[in-house]
Amino acid sequence: MPVVDVTVEVCGMAGDGTIAAGGLINEAMSDGGFSVLAFDSYPAEIRGFGRCVTRSRIGNEEIVALEDKTHVLISLNDEQARSRVPFLSENSMIFFDSNPAVYVREDKSLVSELDPEAILFGMPFNDIATASAGTTRGRNLTALGCFAAICGAPPDLFRAVIIRKFKSKGEKVLQTNLRSFDAGFDYALENFSNRIKSIFLISDKVGGPKKVLLSGNQAIGKAAIDAGLKLYFGYPITPATPIMEYLATHLPALGGRVIQMEDEIASIGAVLGSYYAGTRAMTATSGPGFALMTELITHGVMAEIPAVIINAQRGGPSTGLPTKTEQSDLHAAVFGGPGDSPRIVVAPSNVAECYHYTVKSFQLAEKYQTPVILLADFYLDNRVENLPMPEASESEKSGSNVLPENSLKGSYRRYEITESGISPRALPGMEGFIFSATGLEHTQTGVPDYSPENHMLMTEKRHRKITGALGDLPSPEEFSSGGKLDVGVIGWGSTFGSILEAVTTARNRGLLVGGLKITSIFPFHESVIRAFMNRCSEILIPELNYVGQLANLIGYIHSKDVVRLNRVTGTPFPPSAILEKIEYLVQVGNE
Amino acid sequence: MKTKGKVLREGVHRIKESGVFDIRSEALPTWCPGCGYFGIHQGLNNCIQKLGLAHHKVVIVSGIGCAGRSLFFTRTYGLHTVHGRTLPVATGVKTANPELTVFAVGGDGDGLAIGGGHLPHVARRNVNVNYLLFDNSIYGLTKGQPSPSSPVGMKSKASPSGTIDKPLNATLLALTYGASFVARLFAGDPDSICRALIEGVQHPGFSIFHIYTSCVTFDKEFKTWANLKKWVHPLPQDHDPSNLRQAFDRVLDDEFSVGIIYKRTDIDK
Amino acid sequence: MAQEHCVIIGNGPAANQAALTLRENSSDTRITIVGQEPFPHYRPHLLPEYIAGRLSQDDLCVNPPAFYKECGIKVRLGQRVVHVDFNKRELVLDHKEVISFGGLIIACGGKQRIPEHLQVFDDLMLTLKTPADAAQWIEQLSQVDSVLIVGGDLTSLSLTKALLSLEKRVIFMLNEDSFWPVPLCNELSEKIKHMLTERGVEVIKAGRIKRVTRVSDRSLEVETDNKTLRVGILGAFFGMTPNVKFLARSGLDIERGVLVDEYLQTRFDLVYAAGDCAQVYHPTIKDYWVSIGYQNAINLGKVAGLNLLGGMLSVDASPESIFFIDGIIVNTSWWTEF
Repeated sequence: MPVVDVTVEVCGMAGDGTIAAGGLINEAMSDGGFSVLAFDSYPAEIRGFGRCVTRSRIGNEEIVALEDKTHVLISLNDEQARSRVPFLSENSMIFFDSNPAVYVREDKSLVSELDPEAILFGMPFNDIATASAGTTRGRNLTALGCFAAICGAPPDLFRAVIIRKFKSKGEKVLQTNLRSFDAGFDYALENFSNRIKSIFLISDKVGGPKKVLLSGNQAIGKAAIDAGLKLYFGYPITPATPIMEYLATHLPALGGRVIQMEDEIASIGAVLGSYYAGTRAMTATSGPGFALMTELITHGVMAEIPAVIINAQRGGPSTGLPTKTEQSDLHAAVFGGPGDSPRIVVAPSNVAECYHYTVKSFQLAEKYQTPVILLADFYLDNRVENLPMPEASESEKSGSNVLPENSLKGSYRRYEITESGISPRALPGMEGFIFSATGLEHTQTGVPDYSPENHMLMTEKRHRKITGALGDLPSPEEFSSGGKLDVGVIGWGSTFGSILEAVTTARNRGLLVGGLKITSIFPFHESVIRAFMNRCSEILIPELNYVGQLANLIGYIHSKDVVRLNRVTGTPFPPSAILEKIEYLVQVGNE
Repeated sequence: MKTKGKVLREGVHRIKESGVFDIRSEALPTWCPGCGYFGIHQGLNNCIQKLGLAHHKVVIVSGIGCAGRSLFFTRTYGLHTVHGRTLPVATGVKTANPELTVFAVGGDGDGLAIGGGHLPHVARRNVNVNYLLFDNSIYGLTKGQPSPSSPVGMKSKASPSGTIDKPLNATLLALTYGASFVARLFAGDPDSICRALIEGVQHPGFSIFHIYTSCVTFDKEFKTWANLKKWVHPLPQDHDPSNLRQAFDRVLDDEFSVGIIYKRTDIDK
Repeated sequence: MAQEHCVIIGNGPAANQAALTLRENSSDTRITIVGQEPFPHYRPHLLPEYIAGRLSQDDLCVNPPAFYKECGIKVRLGQRVVHVDFNKRELVLDHKEVISFGGLIIACGGKQRIPEHLQVFDDLMLTLKTPADAAQWIEQLSQVDSVLIVGGDLTSLSLTKALLSLEKRVIFMLNEDSFWPVPLCNELSEKIKHMLTERGVEVIKAGRIKRVTRVSDRSLEVETDNKTLRVGILGAFFGMTPNVKFLARSGLDIERGVLVDEYLQTRFDLVYAAGDCAQVYHPTIKDYWVSIGYQNAINLGKVAGLNLLGGMLSVDASPESIFFIDGIIVNTSWWTEF
């Protein structure tokens, strides 16, 4: 089976059906047994203007990252598609309308921008669509038909998806779309018969477990529902809003509620109030909203109240770049807010992990009586992967409250100093355990107290409690052949996918390189990280932030300075940049 | 002239005699002797007793300031949260477990300054919490700065030449925000507070109790007990609490009439 | 002229030489080559060698793509000019793109000349001009053993050499009036026949092809007026004719090709033509001649390039080397190539 690894883009103006076309490619290829990872970009403005680009990487091996270069560009609007030319690989295939409605000047033309090596497939999309369906509305599907024919993709894969997607819109729409697609397919077969490329063969993985396409946000939403979430309090902010909207669609039928609060402070306040009363709740936000929440988060730390907070990071600082990805809230998540306020911070690295760690967050929050912050990012939230529908077992979903024994009635001390640091927590309604939770420093019974010894003891207790969570948190996962390594690459969040691809490529080239994925950002498994670092000559930490926030957190563990690789382009980390640095370090190390 | 200690001892004795000791915590209130909060606190405790509410099913959510300390002196579940966020936290508690009776307690800074943005929303959502806004028109805990309800010209260390901003009228705001139960009360009359609270707790929606009180330590000029006793008077007999327009008129014309100003009867939520 | 846009229509030897000459003599002129075929510039006269398997496709290419990038020459492949407007000084490509030009060199070469009576058999005949054609020859040659060549021009002779090296049976029908552009006087005709026969080619009597039918996917039946043959491939080689149909309504003077003066300039300012598509005025003969062949193309390309930049070179062609055929005057310095 030859290796299939193709990146396909559809580019058009808002209104061209670009996103729909990209979505159809993703579904068809997923049904065809391929692995799919897709990340689209939308116009920043709401109405009518702006470029839409869908980007899908399709392969018969598991895809963990996006490549920087595009192999196939389907242009639904040439002027917009011009912007994609710098990202084209050599000998890329370009599909475009060869008979546009108006003449195009050279400086607005797509074709004029291309390298001579580009392989051109100009077909009259508008004319084909109109001839087959009487309208140009299906022209995006005509373009897809051309693409499918030239690349040797089976048309029935696409037809099945078109039927699935458009059946509910009525027979007329469905037929228009099918005809438009078929006409494009037939035209390409007839006119380019000598140039059929057959990039896509049927994957040998058809017939495996059925896969669905999910975005990070959808995975988080589903995870919350599966974990028995009943209350969501939130405030709209890019890119977390889709989580609220997903839950607003699905929660009510399950007896839950989504309440849009007046701001992020009210949202986290209500989440804490809910957990105080013993009910699972969640909020999701991004950097600016998270900053507002930090005061109450530290209240949760001091008063030992659970909370689950999703921070979908975006470009910062401040309002920053709302529709761009970044990993620059690690410091805020781990340290944000006044005082020594340890809390649990977890970072998933792909869509499946978005699901599993969101489910887990609820149990962690309850057991360790602390806010738990899940750090996602714009890229992870919005990208789509195909995977078997994620499910959670009963033990993963069950409640983890540590309740006081009946024997403690009457002599209950809410903030009892225990060996684990976890003090059994009564819930309002439980008779005999009345207490007040407070954000002031307090004695073991919860009475405000500022004496020196008490503050030391209670601070130590809270820290010990969080450190104790290490046993319940995922240990760093290593990707190497073991033993001594020239370069160890450590990363977190969505960047880890790019790291994994770079490391795999380096290993295939015979380099002694390994990767280490950090999922539990705080507390972190210092001894495991140290053991890995000790086996590496150099440690490389690529991050999508300027200073190297993970490097700041764990860099000290290594016996010498870690090598930081930082970028803040607002776009995902390209594996090629990491690979280049790895090879450079290996080479320098050999000199 | 009574010493502070004597006033305190007398206060404790009086309280013990009133039989509400089982609701009061063992910790003694840390408010200054003569503070209006004692009266409010008494009204609240009496209400809980009189309604026969199980103490372990009552939650008091409080903010920062002298008012926020209330919950430490009451034997119910308590959640002492950060400044200004009493109302959203209380919303969370009540939504999570509707079986609980939830009181939200805070001062005029907590409710009208930093927390000012939350009042409209808890009112429009008609969340069934009972909000006691202790209004002494000053920031007592931080030692005497003006609050949003302080009068123009109030002198303090933070406003040596006197304040220049006009004060907010919490009752008027509550009516404007569409609160479905609005009572204005006087801390010098704990019984009236108890009565109003009983009615408000039973009201199926958000109830706000705007309570005038005095900070004896830092306000020697404006809301002194002497002045308040002079100004405060009950609402006229013919006041119809179901009439919103009348409620607005009363409140606009008369800043110190006390009683149940407005109570909506056609609650659909 | 320096900052203006110079466009060259064509990607053959004349076109490429024109582009290089322009760049050598002007570092900041914007230069674009627009080629109809999707192949990078190749040596057309080497196609038979490629068919023979002695050259790879890469060997056909003259320059690697990076070369043009370094020179700052924009190359557009697989794009056809459909119209030129000399008033607006714009040209239009087949995908409706409009390109403005300051200077223009038309070097679009020639296309296979198929005599009218054979045009009906177009899809059963193979010609040889482009690498795509060559690919077809290669594919079909792998299945057949015999080839009938009709007509006979320069290309057919070198192809015959290639076919012989592949040990194919070659039948050559040498038509007097179709060995173009050389006048096939008896002497020349005998010379060629002799040369071909010596190399093992079956030279048959000239005749008119009356019918061609496909008998099987590996075999054609060709019926002439004096015999009927079964062959694997029928190759038609009747020379080239300028490929200038797209300029028909543009206002240029066109006879068979684009008419230009001895400086290769057309009637429009800063518009030149060079190579197989041009008919060049010779002041001594006082008539127009057509140039054929690789060397001529290069020469004309160079002249056009220099003159577009302001030079006044006239094409060097001595009257003696100009033949007269069919009313078309031909420069035959190529003859020595064969």
